[in-house]
Amino acid sequence: MADPRTTVVARSSPPAAGLRRGGAPSRPGRRRWSGWLYILPAAAVYLAFAIWPTIAAARLSFFEWNGILPPRWVGLDNYREIFDTPALYGAVGHSLVLVVFFSVIPVAFGLFLTAMLSGRVRRGMAFFRVVFFLPQVLPLVAVGITWRWLYSDDGVVNEALTAVGLGGITRAWLGDYGVALFALGLIGTWVMSGLCMMLFLSGVQKIDPSLYEAAVLDGAGAVRQFFAVTLPGLRGEVSIAAVITTIAALASFDLVYVTTNGGPANQTTVPGLLVYRLAFTQGDIGGASALAVVLAVTVIGLVTVIRWLTKERS
Amino acid sequence: MLTTRRSAALFAAGAAALALTSCGSDATDTPGGTAPTEVSTEITSDPVTLTLAYTDDPPTQALVDGFTALHPNVTIETQQTPFSDYVKSVQLAMSSESPPDIAQYNPGAMRSLVPAGLILDLSAWSDAYGWDASFPASSLEVLTSDDEAKQYGEGGLYAVPGALSVLGVYYNKDLVTAAGVDGAPATLDEFEDDLAAVAASGVDPLTVPSLEVGGVHLWGALLNRLGDVQDYKDWVYGVDGSTIQTPAAEEATDIMVDWIAKGYIPESSNAVGYADAIGEFTAGEAAYHVTGNWAAAAIEAELGDNVGFFPMPRPTADAPMVASGASVAYSISAKSEHPDVAAAFLDYLGSAEAAPVQFESGFMPVNVDATVEATGLKADIATAFSQVVAVDGIVPFPDFAAPAMLDQLVSGIQGLISKQSTTDQYLEGLQNVWSSYHG
Repeated sequence: MADPRTTVVARSSPPAAGLRRGGAPSRPGRRRWSGWLYILPAAAVYLAFAIWPTIAAARLSFFEWNGILPPRWVGLDNYREIFDTPALYGAVGHSLVLVVFFSVIPVAFGLFLTAMLSGRVRRGMAFFRVVFFLPQVLPLVAVGITWRWLYSDDGVVNEALTAVGLGGITRAWLGDYGVALFALGLIGTWVMSGLCMMLFLSGVQKIDPSLYEAAVLDGAGAVRQFFAVTLPGLRGEVSIAAVITTIAALASFDLVYVTTNGGPANQTTVPGLLVYRLAFTQGDIGGASALAVVLAVTVIGLVTVIRWLTKERS
Repeated sequence: MLTTRRSAALFAAGAAALALTSCGSDATDTPGGTAPTEVSTEITSDPVTLTLAYTDDPPTQALVDGFTALHPNVTIETQQTPFSDYVKSVQLAMSSESPPDIAQYNPGAMRSLVPAGLILDLSAWSDAYGWDASFPASSLEVLTSDDEAKQYGEGGLYAVPGALSVLGVYYNKDLVTAAGVDGAPATLDEFEDDLAAVAASGVDPLTVPSLEVGGVHLWGALLNRLGDVQDYKDWVYGVDGSTIQTPAAEEATDIMVDWIAKGYIPESSNAVGYADAIGEFTAGEAAYHVTGNWAAAAIEAELGDNVGFFPMPRPTADAPMVASGASVAYSISAKSEHPDVAAAFLDYLGSAEAAPVQFESGFMPVNVDATVEATGLKADIATAFSQVVAVDGIVPFPDFAAPAMLDQLVSGIQGLISKQSTTDQYLEGLQNVWSSYHG
């Protein structure tokens, strides 16, 4: 009974604790410690499963190790090898193309849908939201396998194209040397668009309606309203959506692994797939760790750029 | 009494572990292999419990049951891991303090376990039991390597096969008959004529799952029939100075390129997975399909008597019979407390008693002298297999050559099928991977 009451008091008058010089000095100290206690479970899990593996991988990237024999220190050799591998540059190029499909198009599409759907209460909104968000709920492996069927030589995509008289362009989309990467990217667009739309729709609700009223009074049409009110109001959401989807594109692995496994002829390899191959088929844990570190640094770099570009400047 | 025995056993295990640790830590100059010299073919009649880690079933469980029926005092506890996780899990299990006594062999995992001295060299048991006579030589060769597990074909014996498999061509009898083809071809030229006849009848001649290893199987089958067997084996085993850039490999690749140009292997193959291809073949959408005997049960269940099997035809009717094949093989842990009992299990795998067990589970028997009863598709496969094994013509799959070779082979074949790379570029790519591992 006593504890909650003290907490309430402390919360309602935070400066008091600092100003009350005569008070027992041990109390704030104890409170500080109890704060640490509260975050301990989460911090322990985070340290054990996020921070420690990161440090371990960074450390392993300086060793030659096959998983069994004692690791051997090789300095920067793993990194040198990685940058000497032409396959890596192809994979990085592919993942940048995927950024367009996983991030740029879904954000644009999500904004478009938001502009269409927001501000007007429509019947069936909940239905649209569920339909668009559904891909986020499905495991990517299931998504990949389903799309492999849709894209196959006699799959639904080709049947639909034939039905509308486009039989001439049908092909096994994921097996086509020229278009496999784009076909793969469109799966990502399908998965990510719903997420972006959900983020933007919830963000739009917190924009002050009086801003729209003012814009209408000033004679702004729907397009003008979107660029003058909606888009600036969604700056934070756009930033978050861009970060999440860019990370998904750069670190993609599962979708590629189950649909094309990097094929045809290495047209859809991504860095994540190369990390997997190095570690699990070639037994080169050191090289895989080095590539993973490079990938992580690239992701952090790009995310920083996105955050900087979308930052509010006064 | 009990406690003393247990502590003695613990002490022995601890000493062995210490010895192994010291062996592993200066791997640079100490040979990795662990080769016992005093072995026995007599096993204890006391109750013994062994553990066995594996991924392939069939045949593992049936073989374990067959062995324990003959030796009721032996209990074998099995631990199965799905194939996708097997390499990692068996590496961790075999390098742990109390590893399984027996583990299913996997080349990827053994490449690090053998150099670490965690797998027994079975040479002494091989001599004692006479495994050279009971197992086909070609099936042991691929399980033999130096103690760094880098060059194969000679050195220590690290596993023996418990079941064999062989690659060949399945054909849909109705479809080929409708195209005017009478049964299995005797030569490669005849096979090419048959493919042309089938294509002319409006049926897809081949279904090739080149999204996965299907294209590699077809290429390997062609190469094996055209090239010098020893050259090929040397390359796969990693013998110094070997190359795949040979006239025979060029000829095999050119045949495949020709089939691609003629439309026998369409570009859409690159999106066809293994299971998809079996589905297409059993649905009667293609006349021929190249794969191993492991697919026989699934194919026969759908096509019944309407399917036959033949080994990839030779260039001439009197050339030697060669086919790619693999085995489900088993190794013994260097930390096993009952290696003689484990070796008795391995010996059982090559016995006549095990042959029907192996054949019933869909594999080829290891003991080639044992006769097996079969009809239909299984009889076709058994005939093909006995022809190949009679001349010791089973060769390993090409991806065995280096850890990164499988990915290079699959993407290389996809490049040929997409008409993006030439025969020379394909073979050069393979040789580059070989050289960077063995060079």
